[in-house]
Amino acid sequence: MSEPGSDEYRELFEHAPCGYLTIGPDGRITKVNATLAKWTGFAPDQFIGQRLHQFLNMAGRIYYETHIAPLLWMQGSFNEFALDFETAAGERLPTIANAAERRDTDGGVQFTALVFIKAADRRLYERQLVDSRSELRVSLANERQTAELREQFIAVLGHDLRNPLAAISAGARILQRSGNLQNEKELRVLDMINSTVTRMSDLIDNILDFARGRLGGGITLHRAIRPLEPVLEQVVDELRTASPQRVIQTRFEIADPVNCDHTRIGQLASNLIGNALTHGARDMPVRVGAKTNGNEFEFWVANAGEPIPDSAMEKLFEPFFRGDVRASRQGLGLGLHIASQIAQAHGGRIDVTSSPEETRFAFSMPLAQADERIGKP
Amino acid sequence: MSSMKPVILIVEDEFLLRMDSVEILEDAEFEVISAANADEAIAILSARSDVHLVFTDIQMPGSMDGLKLASFVRDRWPPIKIVATSGHVRAAAKDLPEGSVFLPKPYRGVELIATLRDMTGIA
Repeated sequence: MSEPGSDEYRELFEHAPCGYLTIGPDGRITKVNATLAKWTGFAPDQFIGQRLHQFLNMAGRIYYETHIAPLLWMQGSFNEFALDFETAAGERLPTIANAAERRDTDGGVQFTALVFIKAADRRLYERQLVDSRSELRVSLANERQTAELREQFIAVLGHDLRNPLAAISAGARILQRSGNLQNEKELRVLDMINSTVTRMSDLIDNILDFARGRLGGGITLHRAIRPLEPVLEQVVDELRTASPQRVIQTRFEIADPVNCDHTRIGQLASNLIGNALTHGARDMPVRVGAKTNGNEFEFWVANAGEPIPDSAMEKLFEPFFRGDVRASRQGLGLGLHIASQIAQAHGGRIDVTSSPEETRFAFSMPLAQADERIGKP
Repeated sequence: MSSMKPVILIVEDEFLLRMDSVEILEDAEFEVISAANADEAIAILSARSDVHLVFTDIQMPGSMDGLKLASFVRDRWPPIKIVATSGHVRAAAKDLPEGSVFLPKPYRGVELIATLRDMTGIA
């Protein structure tokens, strides 16, 4: 280590951009370079004769004693391990270190050389990687839990909203039956109460369906083959009652039996017609039609008024999408979303066309599933 | 003729719903008594012996909800028929005594009348 003419080597050793340190066979430090002395704030002679672990922080000491020293003893070298010094100022100095023993021909340890690279940035980076990964995991779990809670809350809320609404509706029926309300204003108030109850109850139905869908239940169908026209007539009647000042024209030509969930198709019809009443021109009729053509059942709703802007077109069926309408008519933006879910559950779809002349939502579904059609004329 | 009318006891804590159901059933030629909770219902049933059917809400405040009332009535007055209604606990329908009928809310007047006529044996 002290060859003649080795000033250059000495210079390289002392001021290398890394810390050097050698430990003798007795485990005590024999040499330390200027770089490591500078980093740690201790003078070189403060190192000599001491044990390395005295310069490490507690975690470093434990790690050195339990991992590094035994591995060094067994393997003769150990690379790329993290070791934290404690500087003279009491600060932590994180390093990455390599260690190698030099043995004589008999296998006895002459000395152990250690080289240290300052690793504050890298170690910080690694720490942050670990932290951010666990933070991500925690926040994902939280997110999932929050979403679940939110949807359960919506479901409970929906149910609890129904009761007082049923009471309001019952109150209106009692007044209606009594026949005591005679003047036009009173009767109009009664109509308004009924139509508001219907609107609120539709909103609650949609909320519950949405929550159910999101809670994993999805929309389940109870299919049956029985006349569909009375269901559609009833939906239209209810909406006429709810909006007495509006005209709804119907044309139903359902020639073939329709295997569907009648309640759900009624809900789809109600959502589509409700949408047309909300967004269509108020002085023009909403036209509703239904027919079968042998292979398909079709149901459509058309209204006049401003066409749907292109920007809104692709978002129409997304949950919580709301067009520009008067605040008092604002729904939750779930009606079309749920209508499209019902359509999909029936293997059908809803097509939209919108021009200055007419906006039309057309639902179509196959009359029979493919496998049922086989062997039938 | 009034003695021929089936007697229905309506148990419902919501005032307007109770009043509405009473009127609907009176119009449909039932004799109707009403109670706002299970305790009132039991007091009425203990006092008179002509009740054919108890129509109860399941969610009710107080010491006994509709399910407990139903099983109490079944134990104490086995011939009395039971119809229970609720906006949510559809699952609870299976906790009702055997032979009882569950009518989910919201029900329409005609459904209620049809169910009660069916159970009291009036066409």
